Amino acid sequence: MPIHFPHWRRRAYAILGLLIAFGGVAAFAMTVGSVQIPFLTTCRVLLSQLPLVDITPTWLSTTETIILEIRLPRVILAGLVGAALAIAGATYQGLFRNPLADPYLIGVAQGAALGAVVGFLLPFDWHGMGVGVIPLLAFIGALVSVAIVYSLARVGKTLPMTTLILAGVALGALWGSIVSYLIITSGEKMHGIIFWLMGSFSLSEWSEVKVVLPYVVVGVVIILLYARSLNVMQLDEEQAQQLGIAVEKVKLILLAAATLITAAAVSFVGTIGFVGIITPHAVRLIWGPDHRFLLPLSVLSGAIFLILADLVARTALAPTEIPIGVITAICGAPFFLYLLRRKKRAVFF
Amino acid sequence: MRLVTLGIFVVLLSLFAACAPPAEEVVSSTMEVADQLGRVVKLDKIPERIISLSPSNTEILFALGLADKVVGVTEYCDYPEAAKTIDKIGGFSTVDLERVVALSPDLVLATEIHEARIIPKLKAMGLTVFALDPKTLGEVLESIALVGEVTGKGEEASQLVAEMRSRIKVVTDKTDNMPEAQRPRVFYITWHDPLMTPGAETRHNELIRMAGGTNIARDLSGYAAISLEAVIEANPQVIIAGVGMGSGEDLTFRYVETKPRLKSVDACINHKVYKIDVDLAGRPGPRITDALEQLAEFIHPELFKKD
Repeated sequence: MPIHFPHWRRRAYAILGLLIAFGGVAAFAMTVGSVQIPFLTTCRVLLSQLPLVDITPTWLSTTETIILEIRLPRVILAGLVGAALAIAGATYQGLFRNPLADPYLIGVAQGAALGAVVGFLLPFDWHGMGVGVIPLLAFIGALVSVAIVYSLARVGKTLPMTTLILAGVALGALWGSIVSYLIITSGEKMHGIIFWLMGSFSLSEWSEVKVVLPYVVVGVVIILLYARSLNVMQLDEEQAQQLGIAVEKVKLILLAAATLITAAAVSFVGTIGFVGIITPHAVRLIWGPDHRFLLPLSVLSGAIFLILADLVARTALAPTEIPIGVITAICGAPFFLYLLRRKKRAVFF
Repeated sequence: MRLVTLGIFVVLLSLFAACAPPAEEVVSSTMEVADQLGRVVKLDKIPERIISLSPSNTEILFALGLADKVVGVTEYCDYPEAAKTIDKIGGFSTVDLERVVALSPDLVLATEIHEARIIPKLKAMGLTVFALDPKTLGEVLESIALVGEVTGKGEEASQLVAEMRSRIKVVTDKTDNMPEAQRPRVFYITWHDPLMTPGAETRHNELIRMAGGTNIARDLSGYAAISLEAVIEANPQVIIAGVGMGSGEDLTFRYVETKPRLKSVDACINHKVYKIDVDLAGRPGPRITDALEQLAEFIHPELFKKD
């Protein structure tokens, strides 16, 4: 497989640049909100939390609450979910060798939505280990849905990708229709359900960050380890097999990892669209299709994109909040079209 | 960190208590009141900075003369007029937590829809939250009394409740023992596209009953979509259109007026189609008695028509 990588330096710069951009965007998102807090105060509050830094608090305790208990978990969760959806999208696109694949292709989103709606309609409320019943059922719904799709699509020991996509689309449509039915019969709870489905970070808190973080970190690390295999699998699956890749095993591991992080991400904040399909494409158009760079760059870009989108969602019409799915679509689609125009001759796969 | 915040708060509070002359409000000791979600809420003093998370809560606070203590309301709080000028803290179900915290309220008046997600967050930030969840007319009166109790306006509240009770009694005295045959069939329309109507277990259903009518949708549950066919079959004698929802126009009323297929029902033949401000019956607040009186007048003009 004669792959040459003439752009090592450019890629190193890209990773460095995105890391700096990520830091800048995160800091900026911390200082902007529906309540005006001076930039320096924000920095001082944040710094005062670090060990070995001694700053006498000159700010109000409400300022501290806003920054540390409302904005910080929100920015971190947005970054985590953005990173998770972007790398999951890149993985699915690579696995299916299909530019239209996104993290929701094989039933994750519809399964999560069904679980969440059932959670909304339960007559009781339950909390355990910092997780409410809605995210828990959304998570279970997503995993069960993908498990059904997987078992439907399996033929003997192999997993034909086309069958997997078709089963995912069909089952997703079935879940979708049940969700629609439940929504129209949900009465007073309709409002909350629709807001969940459109996605929001408005109620992010530390306990959610603590639950999502391990899934995303473990999932991302696993996917990154298989970046090389994913490159080889862009050839025919048969050829990849001949080149020593255990194709079926790799497929299964990557599917499981991508599904798990997607499910963890959407179960708290709702099914946010566009991030998972647009970010990897944008990265691919700018820095090329090598998965060893595509994947980490997608992680960073996804985090940056969703932190910015959430910033717009909470400030544009403050104190009213715009569902973040609206922002990701409005910002994402034109940006993507621009990239497509600029690199017209670029080949996707 | 929360402990530190609490510590600062306690120190400030004790300083304040030490400096201030022993005013009546400071003397009143800790109060524990159960709210309508069954939560026991502890209050250390009479609240001075109140945030309302619903339009009906705002109406109750204003009716009890607490206008100058309300520091934050929702974007939908448009009654009374003065409520519009108060700082906004977001929508009804979409509360902007930053704004709430920044206004440093000592009481947040919430409702049942905030129970699952908003109230736990507000509590975690050390705020005192009191929730109302009035499902029936009786519980609306109870909620007003509760707000009076926790805001130190107990007297005003019992006065308001007594006044509302006597207005309700004027209506129910004439309708309580009314036989079914004398109760006109009423269709209350809350939205026209899709056609929505309040069914069983709604305040509207209760009010229609109290006003001496029979709700044609009493077998549906909650606020439900109803087919035009079902409405025509039930042949309502009175149609009441809740107007002012969304854009604030009388779309529902115009719908009934212009729909040719509704021409055959008794209400349209006898010109018994009325409009009512959707907020009167829709908001469980002090104006609920206005809703009852208007409904009674629409359904039984012979008994309640004012000259």
